[in-house]
Formats: sequence, structure tokens, C-alpha cells
Amino acid sequence: MFLALDRDEIEVANAAADFLASAMPIDRLHKPGCADMNAVLRGTLAEMGWFALTLPEADGGSGLGPVEHALFFREAGRQSGPVDVLTQALAVLACTDTDLRAILLAGSEGVALLVPDGAGLRLLGAPDAAYALQVTREGAQLFALAGGQTTERPALAPACSMRLLDSPPGTAIAYTNGEHIWQMGELGTAAMLLGLAEAALDLIVEYAKVRETFGRKIGAYQAVRHPCADMALRAEVARSQLWYAAAAMAEQRSDVALHLDAAKHLCNQAALMNADTNIQLHGGIGVTDEHNAHLLLKQAMLLGKLFGGKRALLSRLVDATVQD
Amino acid sequence: MDLRYSDTDREFREQARAWLSTNVPRHARPAHGPEAAAFDRAWQRKMFEHGWAGVAWPKEYGGLGLSGLQQVIWYEELARAQAPHYINTTYIALMHAGPTIAARGTAEQKTFHLPRILSGDSLWCQGFSEPNAGSDLASLKTRGRVEDGVIVVNGAKMWTTDAVYADYQELLIRTDPASERHKGLTWLICDMELPGLDIKPIRTMLQDEHVNTVFYDDVRIPKTSVVGEINGGWSTALSTLSFERGLGFIGDQLELYERVCRAIDLAGKVRLDSGKFALEDDGIAQKLAGLKADSLAIRSMTLAHITESDRTGEPGPNGSLMKLIVTATHKALSETVGEILGWSFLEFDGDRTAHPWTYDYLWSWVFSIAGGTSEIQREITADHLLKLPRAR
Ligand SMILES: Cc1cc2nc3c(=O)[nH]c(=O)nc-3n(C[C@H](O)[C@H](O)[C@H](O)COP(=O)(O)OP(=O)(O)OC[C@H]3O[C@@H](n4cnc5c(N)ncnc54)[C@H](O)[C@@H]3O)c2cc1C
Repeated sequence: MFLALDRDEIEVANAAADFLASAMPIDRLHKPGCADMNAVLRGTLAEMGWFALTLPEADGGSGLGPVEHALFFREAGRQSGPVDVLTQALAVLACTDTDLRAILLAGSEGVALLVPDGAGLRLLGAPDAAYALQVTREGAQLFALAGGQTTERPALAPACSMRLLDSPPGTAIAYTNGEHIWQMGELGTAAMLLGLAEAALDLIVEYAKVRETFGRKIGAYQAVRHPCADMALRAEVARSQLWYAAAAMAEQRSDVALHLDAAKHLCNQAALMNADTNIQLHGGIGVTDEHNAHLLLKQAMLLGKLFGGKRALLSRLVDATVQD
Repeated sequence: MDLRYSDTDREFREQARAWLSTNVPRHARPAHGPEAAAFDRAWQRKMFEHGWAGVAWPKEYGGLGLSGLQQVIWYEELARAQAPHYINTTYIALMHAGPTIAARGTAEQKTFHLPRILSGDSLWCQGFSEPNAGSDLASLKTRGRVEDGVIVVNGAKMWTTDAVYADYQELLIRTDPASERHKGLTWLICDMELPGLDIKPIRTMLQDEHVNTVFYDDVRIPKTSVVGEINGGWSTALSTLSFERGLGFIGDQLELYERVCRAIDLAGKVRLDSGKFALEDDGIAQKLAGLKADSLAIRSMTLAHITESDRTGEPGPNGSLMKLIVTATHKALSETVGEILGWSFLEFDGDRTAHPWTYDYLWSWVFSIAGGTSEIQREITADHLLKLPRAR
């Protein structure tokens, strides 16, 4: 038993952090037209092999597992990365058609995420996506998107555009059965939320050390330092459970779903509450558009709804039990 | 203790309700820009012309000279009629510049400014905070050189809400260069048309630009614009803040109950992912019920404060507690509605009318930061109400 990152895992995490900080830094979100994974970014990510991270080596992937998947998406979360990075990676795993998989792996075409909203469907991600992926616990389906069948909706979260699908997408062109894709989605989303929670903590800790009121650094006031400590606690709690869930998934343990649901719930909570506190403790500067604080909040609100919202997770958690 | 309204109060409510039922603007307020300011002025002018402006303001300044309780009744009726929100470009003028001038201004200042404020002719903004002086207001650095008949102002104010539309500004500056902290400050009426003023909008997370940085480059303000004493501005500023903390949020205080009821209505109509109506979900129903209790208590607190100060003539000491409970309830209500609305809560383009609940959710942080942060409201409560020893 060793529930921390080993040397290889740290290397993956560092490589992902370095790459993402330059390929899609969170500051990109202050420029117009910043939403989603555009074709250029898609190409860069593909070239570096990030969409193939967990694809078996036999299929042309790196053959790494859920732990590396979580490490990568935690860094993507820190940069408030677009959802379609995850969607593309999941589509690669879900796609059984080798020609289409090659296209997705190369980043030549993009994939948007299809989520149910009442009786309708919403599409998240780049408007030029040629495909849409819908994932449930039962399986994953890939659809071809013909043009002109969506209505754009104004998206609160600047990293991700949102459209309503005017009519159902037709029949799937590829699908996989089983819970695996959902779980990789749940793990990836939880990891992005952890990244957001950690980014919020970093921002306020840095600021509380320099901002002065009444002749003292604000970090000296209990009204500031205690909530910071609570943020650190939430991040630590979420992180520990996320690592456990990722390892349980790598080992294909029977209680994966329970650990993942717990991790997703804790990451939802840590991201939202840390983003909230981060704004509050920055004072006025925290509510400005130019600051990154609101980007973390809005992204946390979005990711909190994907692959398990609060209510669904909690009702599943009540009955589930652990394996020794 | 009794809850009976007098006949006069009841009559006042009936008249208010009747007038509002036919006079509330039928079109929503434009989300941003000069159109929004023009809308606010027009609505204020309409209320003024029909004799509804300044319910509790003295008659000599164009008000109705009625009681604080009638003021409460008026705000309740505004909320019930879903009239335009009271926090708009007329807010600073009506909620603190007016009362400050009424309490501390010269006869000329009162005669000139108060009727214009009530009629919506002049809009005001508040230039207190600076980049490095927010919670710690007394560390402000914008300075004024006192010369013959004028004060020459240099420096910068930050976070000035609606500076672009305002005709005047409550400007708090340091006039004694050797002074520190609360000493040596002066409260000035700054005409926003004066040469040397430069305004730069700040975009917020609500996708609007209603706050600004205001730069002063040798802005010459006549000494007749001083409210209170030169170098005695802190005392005038405390009056301003006591109005802000006293009645500043009365609109929200009385509107919250209506908004909770609207949320309950909504929860009865909107289905969750599970297919159940939101109100059938125990978690949501209980949260809404708790919020209803909070909103009732806020109304009770308001009535207690107002009727007490109607009797004593002094604003009560509990403004900080009020701001804490109003801002917390506002936020909790928005969060709960977020759970009810699901995906559509994540739609937002900065338009308050199109996305009211999301706007209100984002407003939560403006609410708990502007006008003194929640942390500072707790400090004030611990210092002044509870007289606890200080760490600072
Ligand atoms: C949308 C908006 C509109 C505004 N409109 C106006 C306006 O029209 N006119 C105007 O003059 N001002 C306005 N303000 C300014 C507002 O009053 C200040 O932002 C507020 O007082 C906080 O100051 P600050 O931003 O400098 O934060 P800081 O004072 O730097 O505070 C940063 C954090 O530290 C905490 N903190 C600081 N000191 C202490 C302490 N001693 N104990 C415990 N915690 C502490 C604060 O609570 C906060 O969380 C507005 C602000 C906003 C955001």
C-alpha cells in the first residue's frame, strides 16, 4: 500500500503541468473567442499524445491508467481547461471504429459532450465539433453532428460554450457498453475540480501574504487565515479520496464506483466552496472580470453538474459499501 | 408590543398598492449603459411627480415627511408589485448622499441638492474607496490642496459604482498632508463635469461595467462644496456609512420574502433530473422553508429597527448584523434556486432580466464585499455591539 505519487507519476504530473500552462494557460480566458478547445489546441494536444494517454499500447496509445488520467486532468482543471479536452480523450477510448479513432487521436476532428437536460439535450464544447459523445453508466455513444441543428446558449463559464440540440442526434456511429467510459469521465471531471480547488487555494494564500489593511497583511487576521485553512482541508480531503479512487480503478476493485462517487462529491464541494471563499477573501478585486477568481467559480459550477451532480451522487452513496 | 397598523398606515398601503398596480414600468430595465440610467431617472421622476418620492424625507426638502414604518410599507409594496430594483443608479443619491446632506450639509447645499435627488434629476456616486483603501478606508491617500476658495484634488478612487452616469460624487480625501488615518480628511461634493476628472470602467464577473476607477488631476472643487468641516470629513463619512448600514438594504430586506415565495413557486413547476418536481425533493423543500423563516425574521428585524428609530430619532446599532443576514440569505436563496434550475442556471450573458437568478447569485459576492465586507461587519459587531477586546 502506497497512497501517494511515485516518481513516474510525479513525472507525468509535472510534464502535464508544464505543457498545459503554456498550451492553455488560464489567462487565455481573458481574450475574446477563448471558449473551448479550438482546432489549434486540439492539434497540439494530439501531437503530444495526451488523447492517447490511457489507450492501450496495442491501439497506439501510451497504455497508462486512471492514475495518470487523473493527474493530467487535475492540471487541466488548474488552468480551467475546456471540457472538450476530456470529451476527446473519452471518445478515443469509446471509439471502436479504428479509422474514426485515428481521426480523433490525431485531433483532425473534435468531439462535443452531449448531456441530457430534461427532455432535451445540451452540447458542451467547440461549435465546430464534428461528433458528439454521450456517456451514461450503461455505455458511451458517438454521434456524427450534421451542421445547423443547434441553438447557441449564453454560457456562464467562459471556458466552455453551450448549445441546445434542436432534434435528437440520430443513430450512433460507434458505441461501447459498460461503465468504464463513465468512470473515466467521472474521474477526469473530479480531477479537474480538484485542480480548481487547489488553484483557488494557491491564489488566496499568495494574496493574503501581500495585501495589507490596518498596517498588517490580511493573512494575519483570523477572519482570513481560518477560511484559508478550511480551503486547504477541503483540498486535502478531496485529493486523498481522488487518489484512492484512481488507484482502485487501476486495480479494478469491485468498489470503484463507491470511491469514485465519494471523490466526485468531495471534489464538487471543494472546488465550489474554495472558489467562493477565494473571491470573498480577495475583496473587491475578486469580483473583477480581469481576475481569475470568477473563472474558477464558474468552471466549478459547470463541472459540478457533469458525471454526477450532488443529488445523484449522494443518493448512490447511501447504500454502497467498501471492499476490504 | 403590538402588530396593529394604524388607519393612516393601512390607507397609505392601499394607496401605494393602487398606484403601483398601474404605474410600475411595463418594460424591464435595460441591462446596462446610459439606457439603464435614463430608465432609472424616468422611474424616479415618475414617483416624484406622483408624490411617492422620499416617503420618510422631511417635507421641506420635497419628501412626504412620513414615518419610517410607512417607508417600510412603501418598500413592501414596491417588492410586491415587482417594481424596478431599488439598487440602481439612483441608489447612492437616495440612500446616502441625500441623507448625509440633510444631516450635515449647509442650507444652500440642502436647497440645491435634495430636491434634485428626489426628482431623479441628479444621480450620485460614492468616491470613498481606493486601490489600497477599502476595508481600511482611513488609509486613503487621494489628496486635496486647500487654496483660496478651492480645494485642488489629485489621486485616484476605485470601485466607484455608476461614476459614468453620476452628476455628483461623495468624495472623501485627505486635505491635511501631515495627517494620518481618520484625521485631516474632508468630505466634498464633486461635480462630475469638472475638468481633470477621468473615468475608467472596471468589468466585473457579472459582465457589466458599473464600477469604475476615477482619476483626479488638479480637479478644482469650490470650498462651498465641503460637507461638514475641512479636515473633519471622517465624522461626515461616518454619517454616510450609518445611512448605508441603517437603511441601505431596506429594499432587499423587504423583498426577500417575496423572492423566497417566487422560488417556492418555481420549485413547484420545475422538474429535477430525476423527473420529480423540485419541491418534492426533501432537501430543496427544507432549504426553501428555512429561507422563508430567515426572510420573515429579516422583516421582523426591519420593523423592530425602524419603529424603534421612529421613536428615538436615531438609527439603531444593528446595521452590520442586518447586512450579514441579508447577504447570507440572498446567497443561500440563489444557491438553492441554482439547484432547482439545473442547466439553465448556467446560462448567463450579463442581462439581469434574462437571467435573474444567475445574476443574483453572482451578485452575492458584490453584496458580501461592497459596502464593507462580511468579515468587517463581524469585526464591527464584535467591537461596537459586543465590546470584545481587539486583536488589531
Ligand atoms: C461591486 C463593488 C462596488 C463598490 N462600490 C463602491 C462605491 O460605489 N464606492 C466606494 O467608495 N466603494 C465601493 N466599493 C468598495 C468596497 O467598499 C470595498 O471593495 C470593500 O470595502 C473591501 O475593500 P477591498 O476591496 O480593498 O478589500 P480589502 O480591504 O483588501 O480586503 C481583502 C479581504 O481581507 C479581509 N479583511 C481586510 N481587513 C480585515 C480585518 N481587519 N479583519 C478581517 N478581515 C479583513 C476582507 O474582509 C476581504 O475579505 C465597491 C466594491 C465592489 C466590489
